[in-house]
Amino acid sequence: MNATTSRFTASGILLVWGIILVYFQLSGRIASYLHPDFHVPTFIAGIVLLVLSVTLLFTLRSVDPSDGEDCGVRHPFGGGILALAVLLIPLLMAVRISQGQFSENAVMNRGLVTDSADLPTFSSPIDPALPGESETPVDGSIMDPSLYLKKNADGQIVVETVDLLYAAAEEGMRADFENKSVEVKGQFLSARIGNPGGNRFQLMRLFVMCCAADARPVAITVQAKPGTQFPEMTWVKVIGTATFPVEGGRHLTLIEADSVSETEPPDESFTY
Amino acid sequence: MNQTWFSFSLPDFSYAFLSVLLEGVPFILLGTLMSGLIDQFLPARVMTRFLPRNPFAGVCVSALMGLVFPMCECGIVPVIRRLIAKGLPVSNAVAYMLAAPIVNPITALSTYAAFRGQGAVEFTVLRLGLGFFIAALVGMAVYNLSIGSVLKKEVLESVALGSANSGGGSGAPLFRRLIAAMDAGVRDFLDVMLYFILGAAAASVFGTAINQSIFLPLAMHDGLAVPAMMTLAGILALCSSSDAFVAATFVSFPAVAKLAFLVFGPMMDLKLVFIYAAVFRRRFVFGLAVGLFVLIGLICVRLSVIGL
Repeated sequence: MNATTSRFTASGILLVWGIILVYFQLSGRIASYLHPDFHVPTFIAGIVLLVLSVTLLFTLRSVDPSDGEDCGVRHPFGGGILALAVLLIPLLMAVRISQGQFSENAVMNRGLVTDSADLPTFSSPIDPALPGESETPVDGSIMDPSLYLKKNADGQIVVETVDLLYAAAEEGMRADFENKSVEVKGQFLSARIGNPGGNRFQLMRLFVMCCAADARPVAITVQAKPGTQFPEMTWVKVIGTATFPVEGGRHLTLIEADSVSETEPPDESFTY
Repeated sequence: MNQTWFSFSLPDFSYAFLSVLLEGVPFILLGTLMSGLIDQFLPARVMTRFLPRNPFAGVCVSALMGLVFPMCECGIVPVIRRLIAKGLPVSNAVAYMLAAPIVNPITALSTYAAFRGQGAVEFTVLRLGLGFFIAALVGMAVYNLSIGSVLKKEVLESVALGSANSGGGSGAPLFRRLIAAMDAGVRDFLDVMLYFILGAAAASVFGTAINQSIFLPLAMHDGLAVPAMMTLAGILALCSSSDAFVAATFVSFPAVAKLAFLVFGPMMDLKLVFIYAAVFRRRFVFGLAVGLFVLIGLICVRLSVIGL
């Protein structure tokens, strides 16, 4: 490739990358891939790439005969055809093929988190009190939960799976939800263990620190009417009563479902 | 469904691969734009004037430079490539490259936050301290190697030319220098992205296809838990600013195994193997990977023996 051709090629590569980064931000697709903290840097990078792409073309005239030299080492922008293919084909194929969520298989490969002690940033209380042990009474001065818990039109508390998982180990949080009617959304997974009556399933959300690649699947247990079945990873809305029975020596988050229905994926597919 | 240890799915791979690319591109772009500016505006050998003349002191100071110039492991490679071309000794550059993703304020804060309730202060100090120690040790080892056995031929040639050309494009008008800086930055971006894409692909294959529960039985044995967690760090290829949050969740693993995960991962993982290959000879990258694995592993196993 001569200097002019390689400059055009580099400009084209940057243009494709820039368009894809900007498209992901503007279309909202980025929410299925990155933690919100990374949305703006990615969008800015897309804009910068577009600016660089255009600038490379507008500075074509400034290319002198020695262009292609980088500290004296002659090599064109972006290398040859093979490099061009590596820089563009995997990206374009991934954009085309990626479905914006993991399959059941990838989720199971990561391992379901069903105990808040396995969650990042969780700091366990000194001893999560089990029934019969010396539980600290809830202080009457604690803020009224109705002031900070969001409710739907039917008066059910709208809650995330991760909050209920934390609540299982935290007495104060447990009191906010225990025996109360809640609405929680997540992805359906058949229960593989701890399902003696055959009427339980797991409700899963991905808990993300940076991007989907580091996602940990957080799951709570739902007890529904026998025969409640959906295809794996279907988004469902569960309305029921939050309970925290002791199973296996710890409080388990268990929703006793009144209704389970298929629903649209939420705008934010992750929890943070 | 029966879980096998390896099950590849193209949509899962594409999803993880794309998320790693979207996350990594801003940092690589920042690093390569900085490398372009360094190329045009940093006079050759100016770095060496500010570093101690004693090689050991120089390497130690370089390993601490991340405290002032924090960089993540993806963005730092184009920067050190340009700094090497500008006369920074390779031993200092390697020490900075290995230490900066760990020995920096952002990683320190994230490690502290992630390990709240699990000896956060001790863990943060140990991570930064061990990261510094390993980087300085490797820097001194590199000091004793010939530059030709470390750097790729193209980078070696740029060092020779950079030494002869003392001031980038200092005689040219500002506009031309900015254009030249952009050209150099774009060239570095495309070069590094080539390797980053290959590395992200490798990490995404293993990150989605391997059943991670195969590592859990190893948690009970210190001698196996440490290499198991380092292998996992190499496979997952997490960003150093957030890897502590993932490490903290491996509650069944001993603290030394988590420490090994947090020191080895930012220095060497599947994507870094490819990115390092943009600057260093393949044999050196292989030796570095094996050396870091053995060195960090032995130190962490030893720490477990003394009761950490």
